[in-house]
Amino acid sequence: MNSLSKQLWPWRILTVVILFLIAASLWAATKRIDYTWRWNRVPQYFAYNAETFEKIPFDGRVLIINRLGDTTSVELESESGEKLTLVVETPSLRVSEGEELFADDSIGSNSEWKAGPLTMGMLMTLWLSAVASFFGLIIGLVTGLCRVSKNPTLRSLSIFYVELIRGTPLLVQIFIFYFFLGTVLDIGRIVAGISALAIFAGAYVAEIIRAGIQSVPKGQTEAARSLGMSATQNMVHIVLPQALKRVLPPLAGQFISLIKDSSLVSVIAITDLTKSGREVITSTFATFEIWFTVALLYLLLTSVLSQLIAWVERRLAVSD
Amino acid sequence: MIKTVDLKKTFTGRGQTVYAVDGVTANVEPGEVVVIIGPSGSGKSTFLRCLNGLETLTSGHIVIDGVDLADRKTDLNKVRREVGMVFQQFNLFPHKKVIENIVLAQMTVRKRDRAEAEEKARMLLEKVGIAEKEQEYPSRLSGGQQQRVAIARALAMDPKIMLFDEPTSSLDPEMVGEVLDVMKDLAREGMTMVVVTHEMGFAREVADRVLFMDQGKLVEEGTPEHFFTEPREERTKLFLKQVL
Ligand SMILES: Nc1ncnc2c1ncn2[C@@H]1O[C@H](COP(=O)(O)OP(=O)(O)OP(=O)(O)O)[C@@H](O)[C@H]1O
Ligand SMILES: [Mg+2]
Repeated sequence: MNSLSKQLWPWRILTVVILFLIAASLWAATKRIDYTWRWNRVPQYFAYNAETFEKIPFDGRVLIINRLGDTTSVELESESGEKLTLVVETPSLRVSEGEELFADDSIGSNSEWKAGPLTMGMLMTLWLSAVASFFGLIIGLVTGLCRVSKNPTLRSLSIFYVELIRGTPLLVQIFIFYFFLGTVLDIGRIVAGISALAIFAGAYVAEIIRAGIQSVPKGQTEAARSLGMSATQNMVHIVLPQALKRVLPPLAGQFISLIKDSSLVSVIAITDLTKSGREVITSTFATFEIWFTVALLYLLLTSVLSQLIAWVERRLAVSD
Repeated sequence: MIKTVDLKKTFTGRGQTVYAVDGVTANVEPGEVVVIIGPSGSGKSTFLRCLNGLETLTSGHIVIDGVDLADRKTDLNKVRREVGMVFQQFNLFPHKKVIENIVLAQMTVRKRDRAEAEEKARMLLEKVGIAEKEQEYPSRLSGGQQQRVAIARALAMDPKIMLFDEPTSSLDPEMVGEVLDVMKDLAREGMTMVVVTHEMGFAREVADRVLFMDQGKLVEEGTPEHFFTEPREERTKLFLKQVL
């Protein structure tokens, strides 16, 4: 162990050096095209402090100002004697007691932290991928079971579905779902997007499930059947649990792909992470920074998922 | 208890037809221990697997306890719960603990409640001598222990007949004895058993009758004394000379 890690030392250093050189050359390249990095513009698109102004709805005057520490309550009275109390943040207060005001004059403001477009986009991507994964898993499970069923019709239909989906580009499928099915069935873009992703993932999941079922030794089924279990009981209690455990790594890979593939739904104007990134760029011109940030956010989502799956795998490994 | 009439099982694949079981007529009486011997590929396993419907027969009849397996209306699942089977490769369920291996079919097939099934499982584990392993996963058990769990699992269904397909062939020599002992106990208790084995000692000691198969055919049958002292057929003599 110790001698092995000693041997690895030079290689580790070499790796770091190469990564450093790549980063340095990227930096040099941007230097040459005279790009000014504006990373400071990025954080506001994750969360920003939104200020809303409190306005007096009528012509009138300030009666009493009551400071309550961070906030201040302002009692107003209209010319007709109507009273109203507004609360604003103390530093933003811009009226004094007895002051005459016209309607729509602002007396101060309240601020509130709001999620920016990148956060909202990431949540949208997360939501799309989660829902599509869930339905993709169900579709894939059913199709995978049909694929190994004794019924020739179920088998052919499932093969047809899998081949159809795997043989066409996801981008085209999304367009068909949105423009054709979306119009014919009158479904919204989100539903169309999620359906396209789920049906796309389902085809791949089906193949993974089929392989998993077929990888369970025949002896398991024979043992179950020899105990009098029905084909269904065998599938539910014996084959599927073992198959699912085996296919967890490829399934995880599939769901990670799905998170990445979900970026394609931005073409039908769903505001996912990619589309949010594009929108932010139109207002900041911080093109490089935003795309790097978007890439990092995808990386974050996918690595959290793979950690999660690794944890589940370790939990399931107890019977090995 | 078991009666086969002109039982045939063929496999066709790549344009070839294998006559795995080729016209076997035999019967097993209640409480009898029948040992099947024969060279490799002679169809012993296939014959045994036909007996509980793991292979569908090509022609002929198998009547178990008055029920004809060849009849399309027969519910095979019902027959199988009365016929336990023990495999060469144990085939325990690796994702379930030992006790769950024995409990599962009792609950799903025999519809027993958990308490009853667990009690039965513990009783059987005691009987095969590994009560202390009930919370282990099968992969942590030795081959001999696994095979004893497999026997307990089959017995939990209260079968009327037990089929054994070379139960000791994949065991290390020092573990063969513990499994054979369990089988001897069963035989003594009057269980109807059909055993495919290469353990001639077991055949000699426990069998009521020995069947010798070769190339899918039942070549000779008789008591162990007959077999091991004065076999009639040339093929039997040849085989016994090789294995003894
Ligand atoms: N599923 C199958 N498909 C095709 N051929 C098969 C199949 N199962 C068995 N056979 C063939 O049937 C014949 C009998 O096989 P079987 O396994 O019954 O022999 P066996 O007597 O049990 O042999 P062994 O002592 O090696 O276990 C062999 O020629 C075998 O190749
Ligand atoms: Mg065999």
